[in-house]
Amino acid sequence: MNQVNDRSRDLGPMVPQPDDDRIICRCEEITKGEIRQAVHDGMFTLTEIRRYLRTGMGLCQGQTCAKLVKGIVARELGVSPAELEPATSRAPVRPIEMRVFAKEGKGDGADE
Amino acid sequence: MKRYDLIVIGAGPSGLSAAIEAAKRGLHVAVFDENGKPGGQLFKQIHKFFGSREHKAKLRGFTIGRQLLAEADAAGVEVVLNAVVIGLYLDKEVVVRLGDEIRHYKADAIIAATGASENMVTFEGWTLPGVIGAGAAQTMMNLHGVRPGRRILMLGSGNVGLVVSFQLLQCGCEVAALVDAAPRIGGYGVHAAKVARTGVPFYLSHTIVKAEGEDHVTGVTIARVDEKFQFIPGTEKHFDVDTICLAVGLSPMSQLLKMAGCRMEDNPKKGGQVPICDSYGETSVPGIFAAGDVSGIEEASSAMIEGRIAGAAAACRLGFITREELEEASSAYRASLSQLRQGMFAPENRGKLLEKTEEGVDISMNLLQKGYLLDEEVEKYPGVTRRKGIHPVIECSQNIPCNPCQDACAKGCIQVGKKITSLPVVDGEHPCIGCGMCVASCSGQAIFLLNEDYDETSATVTLPWEFLPVPEKGARGTALGRNGEPVCEAEVLEVKTAKAFDQTRLLTMRVPKEYAMKARFFRAAESGVGA
Amino acid sequence: MELMSNCAEVIIVGGGVIGCATAYYLAKAGTSVIVLEGSDHIGNGGSSRNGGGVRQSGRDPRELPLAMYGIRNLWPHLSEELETDCEYHQDGNLRLGKTEKHREILEGLADRARACGLDVRMIDGDEVRRINPYLSHEVTVASWCPTDGHANPLTTTLGFYKMARRLGARFITGEPVQELRTVKGKIRKVITPNHVYEGEQVLVAAGLHSREIFGTVGIDVPMDGSLLEALVTEAEPPMFDQMLGTADADFYGHQTKHGSFVFGGSSGLEPFYKDNGTPVTSSRTAPCICRGIMKYFPDLADAKIVRTWAGWSDRSADGVPVLGAVDEIPGLYAACAFTGHGFGISPAVGDQLAKLIRTGSTDVDLSPLRYDRFHAKI
Repeated sequence: MNQVNDRSRDLGPMVPQPDDDRIICRCEEITKGEIRQAVHDGMFTLTEIRRYLRTGMGLCQGQTCAKLVKGIVARELGVSPAELEPATSRAPVRPIEMRVFAKEGKGDGADE
Repeated sequence: MKRYDLIVIGAGPSGLSAAIEAAKRGLHVAVFDENGKPGGQLFKQIHKFFGSREHKAKLRGFTIGRQLLAEADAAGVEVVLNAVVIGLYLDKEVVVRLGDEIRHYKADAIIAATGASENMVTFEGWTLPGVIGAGAAQTMMNLHGVRPGRRILMLGSGNVGLVVSFQLLQCGCEVAALVDAAPRIGGYGVHAAKVARTGVPFYLSHTIVKAEGEDHVTGVTIARVDEKFQFIPGTEKHFDVDTICLAVGLSPMSQLLKMAGCRMEDNPKKGGQVPICDSYGETSVPGIFAAGDVSGIEEASSAMIEGRIAGAAAACRLGFITREELEEASSAYRASLSQLRQGMFAPENRGKLLEKTEEGVDISMNLLQKGYLLDEEVEKYPGVTRRKGIHPVIECSQNIPCNPCQDACAKGCIQVGKKITSLPVVDGEHPCIGCGMCVASCSGQAIFLLNEDYDETSATVTLPWEFLPVPEKGARGTALGRNGEPVCEAEVLEVKTAKAFDQTRLLTMRVPKEYAMKARFFRAAESGVGA
Repeated sequence: MELMSNCAEVIIVGGGVIGCATAYYLAKAGTSVIVLEGSDHIGNGGSSRNGGGVRQSGRDPRELPLAMYGIRNLWPHLSEELETDCEYHQDGNLRLGKTEKHREILEGLADRARACGLDVRMIDGDEVRRINPYLSHEVTVASWCPTDGHANPLTTTLGFYKMARRLGARFITGEPVQELRTVKGKIRKVITPNHVYEGEQVLVAAGLHSREIFGTVGIDVPMDGSLLEALVTEAEPPMFDQMLGTADADFYGHQTKHGSFVFGGSSGLEPFYKDNGTPVTSSRTAPCICRGIMKYFPDLADAKIVRTWAGWSDRSADGVPVLGAVDEIPGLYAACAFTGHGFGISPAVGDQLAKLIRTGSTDVDLSPLRYDRFHAKI
């Protein structure tokens, strides 16, 4: 069992840090302190952090903050960032208006 | 559903190269790119590339972009712009946004050449307007003609940070400082040197404490960090700037490949999450390939070769060429790729402190920490010699894969040799005619022509000049040293331009004899550059 | 790790919202619990892949009492109890119709709900638009249940997990259960590739995987998987708070507290989609959902879709869950086959299962949901 799967692992107390109020996920305005607290509340994977806090769920879909969040969670858990699997990739990989997504072109050539 | 033999996602250097290789072999190829212009990062690259002739060395990035586009056109590649691939679904289905609708396409093979996105670092105030990525700054300057700011601090001393700093200077910005938390400059020394000689100070082992300002950046405070990257109190320095540029690395944009079910790995050496590929760039999903930064961060020259290999491999998979033909094509490309991956900046040397060049010469620690060679150490390098009459001085002190200087000299004065990472040697047996081709061809702007016998008291120094305004003949000003400090008075004798120089002017200035080995930049009396 | 015991009074197989809720209520009552989750993430199946409805209307009378119990007793104070914003809104459910056929469907559902004591009434198009002015004039009829609502399934699931963990419940992820084993006629062992866990009682709440796990002790729960897909928009200004569904089942969803809309729907081709091993969206469904939504909400045409997702629901043979004790194997309990509408009743299921496991009795009659209720049609 690795260090992420054992959810009873003692992380010690959550010690406040001076930059806890720094925004990490700009789209959803999630701070470093919120991310650290979520880890102490048991959110050990990036997917759980995302679902619990909405990090990386905004318009940029984590393009900016994914690595930053990963680094914070890894430090809090005391594991290497490479041990944390990035969140799932989901279509559309670029935001798209509903009316555009709804309209499936019938043309059979890109140049039409 | 419209079906292609091959769909390439991304019309950057690797994507176009892949499409060309495949189309040349008879595949019906479409390239989708979300941008309005093709070429990916190439059209932002206004500097000359490194490498050898086969890597298109000494050409500027945008010139290479134009060549690739012409080649793609000739090969019959269909490049579709403003085409945003929003998903890569089962059975190699590509869904593309085109204008106000989406279209579904299929292909027998897919090459993802989606590139990379910029990393960010956080500090107090990092979300203020005015904190931008270096790539964004490049886009503003070189694609849209917009100056990103007036006075700028650059964080990051890799090649991106160095090259963009130089471009900011070219654009008329003032670069207040170049800062990096690492103890040594990460990019090529020659890139650092051409920034340092304009007077930009380098602060290694420093990083940003905070960006200041109410609703936009008005200043920045940096401080020295210790080995554990913790700030050392009392070392803070403040700069009034309106822009902070971050050049702190790139991350592969591999989301589409992950979505398609390709096996991924998190590989810090490759910049993040990348698909696991074989030596042809094929992922774990048969027929889906990756090329360029999406499969691991490198530079455009290697991305183009990776694209060529993936394009040929796709042609082989679909039966357009035989396995033998693929081997023949790819072995030549691999040889070319491995040349680019040699020298001090080779992947296996990342993070290592090398103390000597391949030739056994000490590497300048001052270059790695301050961005310039010291006057007393410059003559250790084999490209720097003193002799009578006009002659080249090549201030090239690191083993990087590059040799256009050797090709540039029709007289054979300059030798790099077979190994393209070797330091250039100035060969005294051949007479220099002062044509200046070597000066203009050096992508690192590290070659100068010296004539220490111009007259009784003065010498001339010819240097590469890529700034506006171009000083007039007869202009007077100050010669700056490698560190950007004034060393003496100077007078412009001549500014040469020629088609073969490819926009690099050759500025010849007269300086007192004793400063010939020290004066390396010119600042006109009223000019802003280097001020 | 070696020091920690692999034994607990109750082993729960499945770390979804049902497993987490049951673990929470058990731990709160002082029972020792180990929760084994097969994937790497808590709440990774249907718990994170549903429309967030906390509905009573539209439910089968066999599970309606559980829904009503939860809405009366648990949902109103759940956020406080879990110290997590579950984003529960009790602002009613509109089930929309456009045609006479839709009206018939809606009236049938409303009649059955009223028979169980639920306040559901039929309203016309004008009244629909008084409740939700953004709906198009194509909507001519709706059923309206004012006590229905919605919540955030992600934070609710993780909130139950957080508090259960805080109360001492042990959670282990990446621990797929391969086999159950009895000892002397009673359930006892839960076997994973690397460990054997032992409990006096075992609850299987593993969604679609429950069937194969029950199979290891000779119990079969007739269910199969059906793919659900949904999409999420960027945040929009607050527009409405009701939960929405349609008689035509072309979409369902709500606006979240955050401002984004979460809408589920279907292309009609779902039963025939290929399973490639991961829940992956189809290229055809999201455009279809968008077209469906725009007919009801023309104003949302410019809202940007930022995400789509898919998930397998565990569909039972008769459309309602399998819940309660598995009498043939003393100590074994089932909570699965929720058929895509388990989230809204999850607190009630957790609360009642915990009570059943601890005391042998429940407040809500679970007998219509027994595991052995399935019979041939003739």
